[in-house]
Order: sequence, then C-alpha cells, then structure tokens
Amino acid sequence: MLMKLGGSALVTASCAGLGIMKARNFRQHKKNLEQLRSMMVLLRGEILYARAPLAEAFWSVGNREEGPAACLFRETAARMQKQEGEPFFQIWQEESGRYGRQLLLTDRERLELQELGRHLGFLDLGMQERTIALYLERAEQSIRYYREHEREQNRLYTGLGIMGGLFLSILLC
Amino acid sequence: MERKEQLTRVFARSIRDILERAQVDFEQVQEIRLRVRGPLLMVSGGREYYLTGDGRLSGEMEQAHVVSREEIRETMEYISSHSLYAFEEEVRQGFLTIQGGHRVGIAGKTILDDGGIRSMKYISFINIRLSHQIRGCADPVMPYLYENGQVLHTLIISPPRCGKTTLLRDIVRQLSNGSCRQPGVTVGVVDERSEIGACCQGVPQNELGIRTDVLDCCPKARGMMMLIRTMSPAVVAVDEIGSREDLEAMEYVMNCGCKLVATVHGASVEDIKQKPVLRRLVQERMFERYIVMDSRGGVGHVSQIYDSRGSQLYRSERKAVC
Repeated sequence: MLMKLGGSALVTASCAGLGIMKARNFRQHKKNLEQLRSMMVLLRGEILYARAPLAEAFWSVGNREEGPAACLFRETAARMQKQEGEPFFQIWQEESGRYGRQLLLTDRERLELQELGRHLGFLDLGMQERTIALYLERAEQSIRYYREHEREQNRLYTGLGIMGGLFLSILLC
Repeated sequence: MERKEQLTRVFARSIRDILERAQVDFEQVQEIRLRVRGPLLMVSGGREYYLTGDGRLSGEMEQAHVVSREEIRETMEYISSHSLYAFEEEVRQGFLTIQGGHRVGIAGKTILDDGGIRSMKYISFINIRLSHQIRGCADPVMPYLYENGQVLHTLIISPPRCGKTTLLRDIVRQLSNGSCRQPGVTVGVVDERSEIGACCQGVPQNELGIRTDVLDCCPKARGMMMLIRTMSPAVVAVDEIGSREDLEAMEYVMNCGCKLVATVHGASVEDIKQKPVLRRLVQERMFERYIVMDSRGGVGHVSQIYDSRGSQLYRSERKAVC
C-alpha cells in the first residue's frame, strides 16, 4: 500500500512538474519573442542611424544581449565576417533554424524569422526599414496572442498537469 | 590575415578559385579588373595580364576567363558585405573602399534624381585597385618638409597611379612618429575615401603614426574644419583636393596656424596653375613645398621638389623606364 501511495505521489508530482514546465515554456516563449523584437529595433537603429553593414550591426546588437537570440545574432555576424562565399540568406536561414528551436519558436514564427533574411541587405535603407518593420509587426501579433493567453494557458497547463497526474494515479491504483 | 587571402575573399567563388590558384606575388598586384563578358584582367608589376580559368597569367586574350554578370553580382555582394545600403553614398560616387584600404571602382547604369546621381544599377564593371603601404618611401622627401624645425605647407602633385596616397601615408606616419632630428607632431587626417588609413570600424589598418587622429569617410572640407575645432592638430593631411569647398577649408587650415599636407592630380606645378580653384593658392605662395611625382623609375617616384617661389630644390636623375 505504501509503495502504491509513494508511486501515485511520484506520478502526480511528475505530471504536475510537466504541466508547470509547459507553462514556464509558454512564458519563456513570450519573453524570447519580446527579446527578439527589442533586438530587431536595435538592429533597425544600427542600420538606419549608424548605417552599419549587416555583419557589424548583428555583432553590435548581439553583444548587448544574452541568451539564444543574442547567440543567433553573434553567430550570424561571425559567419558573415569569415567571408566564405555564403549568401546572407543561407547563413540566416541556417542559424535562425538552429537557434529557432532554442528560442522555442513555432514553425510559423521560425519561418517568419527566416523570411526576414530573404530581403535584408537588399536595395536601400528604406527597404531595410520596411523589412524589419514587417517582421516587427508579425512578432507583435504573436506577442499580443501570448500576452492575452498567458494567464489562461498558465492555469491550463498547471491544472492539466496536476489533474492528469491524479487521474493517472487513480488509474494505476 | 594574408593580403592574398584578404583580397580574394571579396570575389565571386569562381573568380576566388582562379585567384587562389594564380602564382602571383600579391604585393606586386596593382589592379584587378572585371567587366561583364570581358576577360579577367590583372595588372601586376606595371604589366597587364589575362587570367585564365586555371589561374595562369597569360598574354593571350582567347585563354582568359570570361567574367559573367552573375560573377559581378556575387562579387558586389561580398564587396558590400551583403549590405549595399550601407554604401549608398559611395555607390553614388562610384567607388567603395574595402578592408585593407583597397579601392573598388564601379560603373554601370546611373539612376538620376533631381539632376543628381541617386544610385547605380546594372553594375557591370569593377576595378579593384590595391593599396600599398610602403614604410620609408617618404625618406628622401622628409628633409625638405621642414624649415627651422617647422613643418611646411606641402602639396604633392602626381598623375593617377603614381603612388601619391602611398607617399602621403608615409609622410603622415613620419611626421607623427618624429625622428631623431625632428620631434613628432599631432597629425589630423581627413580620410574621405578610407584610403590613407584604411580604417576598419574606426581603427586604421595602415600605420599612420602614434600622434595621428583619423576622421574616416568624412567630406574633406567639413572634416578639416572639424579636426581643427576638435583635435587641435599641428598638421592636417588630406588626399586629392580640388573642389571649391576644399579651397575654403584649406585656407582656413593654413590661416589658423596649422600646417597642411595635401595631394592633387596633376603632372607639374604648371598644371596646378591651370586649375581654377588651386591657381590662387599657388600664386599667393600659400604652399611652401611642391612634391612632383611621376611613374618614371617605378611607382612612387619623386621627380622634383620646389619651394613656394618655384625654385627647384630637388630633381631626380632617373630616366624614363618606358
């Protein structure tokens, strides 16, 4: 009996932990998007105000922040500075694909981030501004969704975790 | 980074392969020219060669690698570090300066806007002129640049491709560092085209001396004024003067106790007297030394030095090479 009780407690605790982790990921996801948005604003500043080439701009912004988003910027800059004959879009696509997972981005968000690299560097300053503005608009939409649903999702994941754990325990007992 | 490696990285992959295979001393290379549907050309040691697909230097045009539009596009991508927008002003002027201070001249179809050049598209011609830093090349002229321990206003006159920027760079370095005879002085360099200092993120890649401040990518006229007001240099150095705004700024520099070292395109002092903008400065004897260069005896050859009255102080004995 004691074994059963112990096992049930463990199952409940694990499922609750999973739920809490999922809720935390949801919050972290929102934070990552917010960080990406603020880094894009800085990038726009570097490009429009300082007229920095992409490698310099990415490096400068990447060095102001920490976390996977900063690594994405720094890694992109480092690969561009190596000048190994890779087109910018290819570098950005690969790096944003790699760090997109660490940033917990959804497939749609990762695709939007990759799309940014298709037009960045092309034509004049106005084009850079519009390209970043487009990404910012999309990121804003995602952030708004996460903000609106943060409390509800938090409760949902945590509750589901605990309730699921209890349900499993009952089933197993 | 080795000069060859640094340089080849700005080319399209196919051309990069050719250049990497080429058995050429890149210290001797002066120019590399790319033209759409034209042969890949290299000027080295004063001679022009065709580069073949396997990296050989040839005198036969038929063997040359023919440059494609895609190669030019890719090369422009790397030259501008995937950021052509950051070089709008340079593109308008028809040149960019890349790491190492090498000047990239471009030509294509200009886009006009209110009578001015807004940008350039269909870039089809690229000319990469390699910068050369030769420490000590100003040794023979340095004794003429001082009088009673004071630096003199100096104008370097030279046709294109004779090494005037190289000479100016070494003069700046020597004035700034000083020597056992002359103490070093503060030098302000207005490097409009990034050719003198070859600054990368604000740091000169060429040696300009320990007392030198560089205003990079700044229009000469405005830069001279800024330097005087902010960095109090004893000597101001500028490359390729010629416009009316330059003249006003030069007069400002000369009349406020600073010394000026400048370069100008021309073949003789008489040539300078024909230039409407500079004529007055020569007639009013504002410059105290004129260094005349030519390509006889090789790039960087100083043929004559004159004082403000036109008296010859130095004349090279070298005969023409060709």
